[in-house]
Amino acid sequence: MENVIEVQHLSKSFGTHEVLKDIDFTVHKGEVVCIIGSSGSGKSTLLRCINLLERPSGGQIIYHNENILDNKHDVNAYRTKLGMVFQQFNLFENHNVLSNCMVGQTKVLKRSREEAEEVAIRYLHVVGMSQYINAKPRQLSGGQKQRVAIARALSMEPDVMLFDEPTSALDPEMVGEVLGVMKQLAGSGLTMLIVTHEMGFAKEVADRVVFMDKGIIEEVGTPEEIFEHPEKDRTKEFLKRV
Amino acid sequence: MRKQRTRPARFLLFLALTVIIGLTGGMTGYAAETAAGSEADVLRVGMEADYAPFNWTQMNDLGGAVPLSGSSEYAGGYDVEIAKKIADGLGMELEIVKTEWDGLVPALTSGKIDAIIAGMSPTEERKETIDFSDSYYTSQLVIVVQADGPYADAGRLADFSGAKLTAQLNTFHYSVIDQIEGVVKEKAMDNFSAMRVALESGMIDGYVSERPEGVSASSANERYKMIELSDGFETKAEDTAIAVGVRKDSELKDRINEILAGISEEEQTDIMDEAIVNQPASGEEETTNWLVRIVKENWPMFVSGAGMTLYISMIGTMIGTIIGLLVGVVRTIPVPLRGAKRGFLKVIGGILNVYIEVFRGTPMIVQAMVIYYGSALAFNINMNRIFAAIFIVSINTGAYMSEIVRGGIVSIDKGQFEAAQAIGMNHVQTMKNVVLPQVIRNILPATGNEFVINIKDTSVLNVISVTELYFQTKTIAGINFHYFESFFVACVLYFIMTFTVTRILRFFERRLDGTDNFNMAGNQMQVVRPEDLQKRTN
Repeated sequence: MENVIEVQHLSKSFGTHEVLKDIDFTVHKGEVVCIIGSSGSGKSTLLRCINLLERPSGGQIIYHNENILDNKHDVNAYRTKLGMVFQQFNLFENHNVLSNCMVGQTKVLKRSREEAEEVAIRYLHVVGMSQYINAKPRQLSGGQKQRVAIARALSMEPDVMLFDEPTSALDPEMVGEVLGVMKQLAGSGLTMLIVTHEMGFAKEVADRVVFMDKGIIEEVGTPEEIFEHPEKDRTKEFLKRV
Repeated sequence: MRKQRTRPARFLLFLALTVIIGLTGGMTGYAAETAAGSEADVLRVGMEADYAPFNWTQMNDLGGAVPLSGSSEYAGGYDVEIAKKIADGLGMELEIVKTEWDGLVPALTSGKIDAIIAGMSPTEERKETIDFSDSYYTSQLVIVVQADGPYADAGRLADFSGAKLTAQLNTFHYSVIDQIEGVVKEKAMDNFSAMRVALESGMIDGYVSERPEGVSASSANERYKMIELSDGFETKAEDTAIAVGVRKDSELKDRINEILAGISEEEQTDIMDEAIVNQPASGEEETTNWLVRIVKENWPMFVSGAGMTLYISMIGTMIGTIIGLLVGVVRTIPVPLRGAKRGFLKVIGGILNVYIEVFRGTPMIVQAMVIYYGSALAFNINMNRIFAAIFIVSINTGAYMSEIVRGGIVSIDKGQFEAAQAIGMNHVQTMKNVVLPQVIRNILPATGNEFVINIKDTSVLNVISVTELYFQTKTIAGINFHYFESFFVACVLYFIMTFTVTRILRFFERRLDGTDNFNMAGNQMQVVRPEDLQKRTN
């Protein structure tokens, strides 16, 4: 299987506080990887390090055989290859739904407006938001905002989608609509890296599950291995609690 | 779907560019003009044009008045007649530059004018900076009081014991007040307009002046009375004499003396008498409603002054806002941990902080003096007054707006910055497409505030003789001697301008906010529906 992202010996400290310690892990093409673990275990930091929203303190991130931590590497071009979905949606408040999905395409990828509009509407259709193209973010519910945010990331046609706890800020009745969209995407063969607290979802869609604890990767395996036959005590303890 | 909203950022930028191009054009034009002016055949003479009968402003060329440089108005008076004779004698063309009293000497030393003919006495202090010709008039000191006030019947210096007196700042009129025993010496005032208002309102009991001014004031407004003193002040010849000021070691001095020698004392008196008769305010019919009369007679000046005020404050606010936005963008560039870029950004940040602190921390009136006269003295740059005014208002507003913009940027939640970065936008793209449009909306009320402040604060630019509303009003009041009425008109005009601007900005705010409703795409014909899309892609 082709490696898309390879993380080697990655570490990250905020001051003296070490959040990630010597992380090694790989994402293969077409794979859905879920990262689980308790709060503060470093899951989100790992995801944010991968698209350089946080600068790693040490180690390497290899993307298609290129070290992106190399100073000469074009960070902005790399980021267009990774679609990021945030816990807090982070839609651009000054743009309407359609424009949120177009601005990256026209300004960064330099696509024509016609093409950008077509692509944006295609993905808004995928997430079921194509009727809302004229709405401003403040006029949408949380679940709708997150679906637009997913369409915005997809419109850049990235190699990998990163989801940072996409349903944690949602009211319970809206979690389903977002997870539904994500399941549909997982089924389409998209490479996805998902930080989540939704164990049922992870069990259902993940090809591999990564369990993190205190800044290290404790255990990696198929959903069955992790959820049914966990090897490490820490994993068992965590799964018992949730 | 190609409905484009108007983009405030782009619109502002376009306007600013237009203005800057316009101004640069104006500058080049002006540069050419001054180059011509500095040639030997034009004599540029500075005066207040607000000190009748020596010099005053009028709207036409009656009585031999000379056009004022860069204005549609004319200057007349004793000084103008003398200036005409001097220019004739030198074989030069006369150009009169209306200049504030305190700006006269700096204007001369910085080369903006060639001579001061403004009823100015050749005092020792002034002689340290500039040279003077021989005297062209010797005057006598008088005290102007209220016609129905307690000092109306005074005749000697001693009668003014206990009186509140003042005189013009930086004149010997002010220092001689000490010769009266028991007098209450009030603060010196900037100009005669201010003193006349103070006298009329009873803030002072009188002001020291020279005979011609006293005659003018009392004949123009029956509320003033001129007291000629039987004993009189002790004065030095250098004080009561008035002379032409020229730059140090100027060859003009000897040539002017030659011409002045040809004007006899009798001729001087004749010219002065004629000036007193000709001055605009004297001999006019009394009208009960001065307010109506002032508006009727002077509305073109009021309108041009208000227009200038609006022009300077509007352009200044716009350029200032753009400066503020640019500074805001630069100051929020993420600083890398190391490398040359870090040092560069630190230096730029430091410079911008100094700029903001300095311009927020000093009064605009002082900046105006330093920039307008300083640039001429230190770098030999002869700035066009209006350009200087816009420049000063712009950088001032820029300093304030930088802080306002910084606040606006900080108030945008960090998530939107991250989302923009995550789709690959660099700092400038993030600012332009995501952050600044929101910042502009958020700072609009503060920008409106700056605009209103600028409309009012441009009045301080009268110190560099910009013909804005305050300056024009002062001129009008200087002609008709009815200060309350003239300034009341200005007051109303200022209020109309600020009020209108506030309303217009409110309207824009509401427009930018849009409605709370939106159309579902399915209901709109021009919208691409998913079905259409599939057809197209298939």
